Amino acid sequence: MIQLFHVSKNYEGAASALTDVTFKVAKGEFLFITGPSGAGKSTLLKIIFGSEAPSQGQIIIDGRNYVKIPPKEIPLLRRRIGFVFQDFKLLPNKSVFDNVALSLKIMGVNPRDIKKRVLRMLSYVKLQHRANFNPLSLSGGEQQRVAIARALVKDPAIILADEPTGNLDPALSNEIMELFKEVNNKGTTVIIASHDKGLIDRFGKRTVHIENGRLVN
Amino acid sequence: MGGTGNLLYIFTDALRSLRENLITTVLTAITLGFALAIFSLFLFIFLNLNSTVSSLGDRTQIVAYVKDSAASDSARLKEILLKVPGVKSAEFIPKEKALEDLRRELIGHESILDGVDAAPLPASFEIKVMDSFKNPSQVTATVERLKALDWVDDIQFSQEWVEKFSAFLKFIELGAITIGIFLAAATLFIISNTIRLAVYARRDEIEIMKLVGASDSYIKIPFFIEGVLQGVLGGVFALIIMAVGRYFLLSEIPAYFSFAIASPVSGLMLFLIFIGAGVFMGVAGSLISLAKFLKV
Repeated sequence: MIQLFHVSKNYEGAASALTDVTFKVAKGEFLFITGPSGAGKSTLLKIIFGSEAPSQGQIIIDGRNYVKIPPKEIPLLRRRIGFVFQDFKLLPNKSVFDNVALSLKIMGVNPRDIKKRVLRMLSYVKLQHRANFNPLSLSGGEQQRVAIARALVKDPAIILADEPTGNLDPALSNEIMELFKEVNNKGTTVIIASHDKGLIDRFGKRTVHIENGRLVN
Repeated sequence: MGGTGNLLYIFTDALRSLRENLITTVLTAITLGFALAIFSLFLFIFLNLNSTVSSLGDRTQIVAYVKDSAASDSARLKEILLKVPGVKSAEFIPKEKALEDLRRELIGHESILDGVDAAPLPASFEIKVMDSFKNPSQVTATVERLKALDWVDDIQFSQEWVEKFSAFLKFIELGAITIGIFLAAATLFIISNTIRLAVYARRDEIEIMKLVGASDSYIKIPFFIEGVLQGVLGGVFALIIMAVGRYFLLSEIPAYFSFAIASPVSGLMLFLIFIGAGVFMGVAGSLISLAKFLKV
């Protein structure tokens, strides 16, 4: 499903963020990318998502080389990938419902279907009672679930999550991770970047470890 | 995918975002209105003064007095005059007409001319100079050619006036063009900055939309609609500012100068120009400012 070949990323005037990273993720797999803060986990996710271009190397998703796609097709790639951002990236001036609906609106889904799917997704993440709330009035855990709902509502083939439990207490972290596991059980490929070793060990899934931008086995 | 069937939906969404950003939109429109009004007020004054000054130039004329012996054949003399390089037109003023004109100018003092039977003034030609001959050296050349005609008694023409007028015209043009350039630059700078700040305030929203998979055109539509609305509102504001400004200015400036702030085009035309300029600046400004934030 996802293949990275010799991917490197250099930022001008900084040490290399990624060096010669090669790995594969099978369809329907659940993968953790681990490593200390600043190791390059976020950069790796951004490269898979197409919001950062690699300095070198190739990325193949579903048989297509995404290093070579025209910029116009990047939105299409992003509609197939649900990204849960570390800082949630929710629109503060829109309701929880509208935030989740955004990814469907962009895809041109008709308003009736949007309503149905958004409400179903909000109840899936147990936030149906918060639909009309402003995201800023919610707790960190609730905001995280809004972000997850937005990523999931479009039924993506791939879910990428950057430190999704970073700001949450252990009970909430487990709850969120269970959500990802459920989604994965339905066939969605899930890649989670996390430095929470205890959490990763509890889940016992395949792990890719990065340090200083390099894969360590 | 976002097909045309959803265009209406995108549109209503854009209108909603417009409502959310109403204050910014209106403030930008007011700035646009003031900028347009200031620039066009300047343009009015420039165009009006310019056309007045050019019409003053028509007064550059030469009077050629005709010897009494030759005055009877005015039609032939006129033909000769029209062949002189630089002469645009020539009007014959017979002795009688000259006296009549003099009488008119002496209204209230007609008694001075009591007892004057024969016309005391010579017949003359009032000669107008071609526009392309209006610079001092060429007018002088034309005058010299006229003097050379044997039936011409004397020539009256103000060398000084021609030179001063020419210099004045150059000065006005240069000054106006300089001020115009500064004013246009300032106007564009103010408008582009205002719009850029309005777009900048929404950079997070733009970034998030891009990250969730919105195409550039999906993001541009609301900004485009806002740009159009800003432009229309700005044009209306500019017209109101001009109308109100004109009303107050007219009571402050002397009546003989009021022509300077009159619109050189009809009210409707002015309205359309304002709206057109406003919409162009609003849309171009929004989309140019937006481009930077679309690279996510």
